[in-house]
This record gives sequence, structure tokens and C-alpha cells, in this order.
Amino acid sequence: MSFHIVVCIKSVITEAPDKRVIRTPEKCGMNPFDRPALETALGIKEKTGGTVTALSMGPAVAASALYEAMSMGIDRGVLLSDPCFAGSDTLATSNVLVAAIKKLAPCDLILFGTRTSDSDTGQVGPQTSVQLGLPLVTCAHSIEYTDSGLLVERRADDFLEKFQVSLPAVLTIHPSSVQPRDASLSGIETAFEKKEFETWDMAALDLSSDQVGDPGSPTKVLSMKRVKRDRKCEFVDGSAGEQVDALVNRLLEAGLIG
Amino acid sequence: MDTLYSEKNRVLRRSVRSFCEREIMPIAKDIDQEARFPWEVVEKMGKLGYFGIQVPKKLSGAGMDSVNYTIVIEEISRVCAGLGLCVTVHNSMAIYPIMGFGTGEQKQKWVPSLARGEKIGAFCLTEPNAGSDATAIEATAIRNGDHYVVNANKVFVTNGGVADICIIFVRTDPDAGRKGTSVIVAERGTPGFVVGDIEDLSGMRSNPVSSIRLYDCKVPVENLLGREGSGLKIGLQALDVGRIGIGAQAVGIAQAALEEAVKYANQRRQFGVPIAKHQAIQMMIADMATQVDSARLMVTRAAYLKDHGKPFTKATAMAKLHAGEVSSQVADMAVQIHGGYGYSKSYPVERYYRDARVTRIYEGTAEIHRMVIAREVLNEYK
Ligand SMILES: Cc1cc2nc3c(=O)[nH]c(=O)nc-3n(C[C@H](O)[C@H](O)[C@H](O)COP(=O)(O)OP(=O)(O)OC[C@H]3O[C@@H](n4cnc5c(N)ncnc54)[C@H](O)[C@@H]3O)c2cc1C
Repeated sequence: MSFHIVVCIKSVITEAPDKRVIRTPEKCGMNPFDRPALETALGIKEKTGGTVTALSMGPAVAASALYEAMSMGIDRGVLLSDPCFAGSDTLATSNVLVAAIKKLAPCDLILFGTRTSDSDTGQVGPQTSVQLGLPLVTCAHSIEYTDSGLLVERRADDFLEKFQVSLPAVLTIHPSSVQPRDASLSGIETAFEKKEFETWDMAALDLSSDQVGDPGSPTKVLSMKRVKRDRKCEFVDGSAGEQVDALVNRLLEAGLIG
Repeated sequence: MDTLYSEKNRVLRRSVRSFCEREIMPIAKDIDQEARFPWEVVEKMGKLGYFGIQVPKKLSGAGMDSVNYTIVIEEISRVCAGLGLCVTVHNSMAIYPIMGFGTGEQKQKWVPSLARGEKIGAFCLTEPNAGSDATAIEATAIRNGDHYVVNANKVFVTNGGVADICIIFVRTDPDAGRKGTSVIVAERGTPGFVVGDIEDLSGMRSNPVSSIRLYDCKVPVENLLGREGSGLKIGLQALDVGRIGIGAQAVGIAQAALEEAVKYANQRRQFGVPIAKHQAIQMMIADMATQVDSARLMVTRAAYLKDHGKPFTKATAMAKLHAGEVSSQVADMAVQIHGGYGYSKSYPVERYYRDARVTRIYEGTAEIHRMVIAREVLNEYK
């Protein structure tokens, strides 16, 4: 069996400024939660053959995530970039990804990270699978092949759930399921020698303008500010025994134990 | 500074940094204290191409340019200067002379295994009576049919304790003065090849710097690099290239010291505020950041000139001199900002302070560098 695996990766902001998000090449990098998804794809490719395509929606600076993925060994990279896509929320992002995945068909497996380090919704993978009408397992921790598809173990809280999934399917990959590989220096050199990723804009995709950007986004970010967490240090007096009792009571009162 | 770099430079830095922080940072303190060469990470570094950074791909290298080379060395040195030393000497001082002066056969024979990190290289010039004055070496290689009989006592050999392939400076014609200097490649395991004790160094302790002695060691004539008599030329060119790496190493140490100092200054409270609020500390931080930037810019310029086929001897000497002095000063200020804790092994700045010091000594002392720079400048404006 030879798979076509699509991995959706995001170029995230690595340094969070106050109030306004400015994407500059120095402050962008691949979402760390997407690395395990890439590793899973590359691992499957090494075992079964096939091809890995990485998709990334974002402005031109998002190319850095694609270059990183190319350095790790993907076969094809596609940047989904158009001024109309700016301001897309998770739903509008899924709309764009769905259109791109349809264009890339046939695909056997579509992988996502569980969430992103800069917005942390975890919605894009599930929304994409619903729109594609494909089965979804989130937080996939291990994958086995069977004649009828995949046996996927899902890790959620303290439980391992096992699912039988037919292909094509969508998985979000648990961050601790694999150790992502490092790009080798020659991998990086080759990625930049080839410079072979494609860029698809609105016109290249079967999308209408009300599906993307602000018009396609039911949620709007109204403001953004840094949360300050206040910490205070209290001393508990008394003998060792009294201190322990007082501490246990305080923790009980706070609902932290009990 | 960041904006001067290309996308590729940035992807490379991110990737090397992530590897170094995950694999080397957690053991950096221990390998310094135990003076241990960490084979387990060295093997991984080899697989990722760190031991053949500028070697062409067809000889199993990564085929990168010098600017990218400085990024790799800086990032390794930022977490462990001893490993930074290992990698830069291996690449610039062992592989470079073979790539620059070796025949096709010699390259095929030695470079691929060096580039993959399966074999480690060393550069053996310094002797007890020949340090700054490389023309004073006493090692000899006397031709006898199809081989040379080599006798040498080389000291302060970086990677000496683990090196398989050694670039050795010898006199092939003991009566010809400096013109009689040549370079031969000697392999560990050849009868008469003896590795001496590991130096108990002040810094760079994860690097097994040792002496290497050759006693009536028979080295095949095919192992001569270049021609008989071309030794000093090979040595000087290798040092020109090597100093870019030492500059990058010094920048890496200084960068680490700066980061630690800022972190500490924000945490430590005295007189009711974080010490970072005190102007005296801020002045030091400003000087440190400015120094690190200036050193990195100079090192990058030297590498850029080399990549573009321009003369780079003066730029390299300036970069190495400046970066070495910056790393000492910045590490010193980082210790100062840590107060008494900076003088304790509980914090890494104490290690940076020891590591930084030698970048003003090896691959040409600061004094020798000033001589080189002065010679170039005096000629330039004559
Ligand atoms: C950790 C470490 C690793 C090393 N690795 C290697 C290696 O891999 N291969 C190798 O071959 N060597 C290596 N060396 C040796 C190093 O390159 C020498 O120590 C250095 O070149 C200086 O030589 P020296 O120690 O004999 O000092 P000397 O040359 O004796 O110098 C002593 C002092 O005199 C000054 N001086 C000397 N001559 C002059 C002059 N003409 N004018 C003004 N001042 C002068 C020097 O600047 C210095 O301050 C290493 C050294 C160390 C400490």
C-alpha cells in the first residue's frame, strides 16, 4: 500500500507582542504541535512508501514552516496564500484547507497537530474532517494498519481509546506520540536549493469570497491583552504539626484537594 | 541583526538550536565537570551533518556556506563551548586542509568518514617549543622509500583523545628552515602513534585536548598533503578559515552569558526591586548586548567575504580578536551581575567565564592577531 498523506502545518508567532500581532520572518516558526504530525507522516512514508504533502495557509512569511517541513523530508509543499485569507478564523481556515485538500485528491490520510501554540483552539482539524465528511480521531497516539484501514489509539486524559477507522481519514496527532526528527544540515541545504513549494491563491481554489477572511469568519477577535497572573506567598505559622494542618485546610478550602 | 539573515539562515539556526537545547544543554554542566566527551550526542550530531558542514554532498557533507557554518558553531557553543571547539576544529582544521590541498584520492579516502562524524579529525601544529612561532617546530618526517619515518611531540591537540585522522606539521627537510615544513596525515592505530594524557583544562573540559606523539612512526608517502615544503602555507590558510569558527564560538559563549545575565537580573531582587531596575546593571546589559552584536556582525562579515571569494584574512583576524575579547568581557560582566552566585558552579556563567578565556589564546593569541591586523593595515594605508 502506498499512501498519499497530507499534513496541515501552521507558521505560528514565536514571540507574542502586546496588543497587535505583527508577523515578521524573525518571529515566525512552525507550530511545535505540528511536528509530531509531520513525523508521523514521514514515519508512515518510510514504512510503506508513498508521498507526503504539507499544506500551510498564511501570508508569505508562513513559508518558513514549509521550508522546515521540506528540510525534514516531505515531498511536496503548498502555501495557501491570498490577501483575501487575512483575518480568517478557524472555520474560514478550514474552508481554505478543505478546498486545497480536494484539489490534492486522492488523499488517504490527513494529519493535523492537536492545537497551535499561538491560538490554541484545536478546532481546525475537526472542522476540516466534518467538511470533508471523513472519519476523525483526535489525539492519536499510535497507528496500526489493518486490511480495512487503521487501528488508532487515542489518548485523552488518563484513557486510551482504540478506534477502527476506514480510509481516507483525518487524525490529529498527540504531541507526545512521537519524537519529531531534527532536520539534517543537508536536508536544509536541499530544501533551499530546490525552493520548490507551490503557492495557491483564491483563484487556484474552488472558494467564494464569503467563505474566507473576515466575511467567512463567524468569530472576531475584538481585542488582545496580556494576562498578568498575580502570585502571593503566605507563611504558615506554628509547630510543624500545626503548619501541616493549616496547609491541608487551606488546600481543602481552595478546592485543590479533597 | 536578525533581519540581515536569510530565511535559510533562520531555519538553520532554529533547527540547530532546538537540537542543542534538547540534546546538549541538559548534559553541558556534567560533561564540563567530568571532563567527558559525550559520544552519545556526538553520534547524533554526525548523523545530522554537523561534522561535514561545508563538505560537498558528493563527499557525504551538507554542502553549506561559511555564514551557515558560523551559525552552527555559534549555536553549539551557546550551549557547550567544548563541543563547539570539537566541531569547528574538525571541520576547519582537519577537513579543510584535505579539501583545500588534498588530491582526489586523498579526499575520497578521508573526507566522507570525517564528514559523517564516523571519524574525528585533529590539527597538530603546536609543540612544547613552538606555540605562536609555528616556524620553530621540531617534528621530523624523513623519507625512506615509500614512507616517511615521523617523530613528533605535539601538544594541546584539540580532539586529541578521540581523533582518528590527524593533520601533522613536520619538517621534511630539517636543514631548509621554514621552507622545509610539510603536512602529513597520520592515522591513529599506526604503530608508534601514541595519545598522551588528556589536559586538565580550565575550560573546554568536554573536549579531550591531549598531546599526540609519534615515535618512528611509518607514514606512507601518499599521506603527504600538498608538496614537501608547502606546510606553512597550508597551516596559515587553515588558520584563516579556522578563526572564523573560533570567532563564532566566542560569539556563542557571549550570547549564552548575555541571556543568563538578563534572566538573572530580572529574577534577583535587592533593595526591594529586581536588580535589572538598577541603572548600573542596565549599563552592563547594554554594553554586553552591543558587544555581542558587534562581534557577531564581524564574524558574519568575515564568513560572507570568504563565501564571495574576497580576501578575508584581515576581516577574519579582526573578527576573531574582537569576538574573543568580547566573550571574555561579556562572561566577566555576567559573573558580576550574578554576584557571589556567579562565582559558584550552581550557575552556568562560571563555566562561560572559564570557556571564554581561551578564545583569546588558541588559533593565534590576541597579540599575534594584532600583529597580523597591523601588518595588513600598515600596508593598506602606506
Ligand atoms: C584548549 C586549547 C586547545 C588547543 N588546540 C590546539 C590544536 O588543536 N592544535 C594546535 O596545534 N594547537 C592547539 N592549541 C595551542 C594554541 O594554539 C597555542 O597555545 C597558542 O598558539 C599559543 O602558543 P603558546 O601556548 O606556546 O604560547 P606562546 O607562543 O609561548 O605565547 C606566550 C605569550 O607570548 C606572546 N607572544 C608570543 N610571541 C609574541 C610576539 N612575537 N609578539 C608579541 N607577543 C608574543 C603570546 O601572545 C602570549 O601572550 C590549543 C591550546 C589550548 C589551550
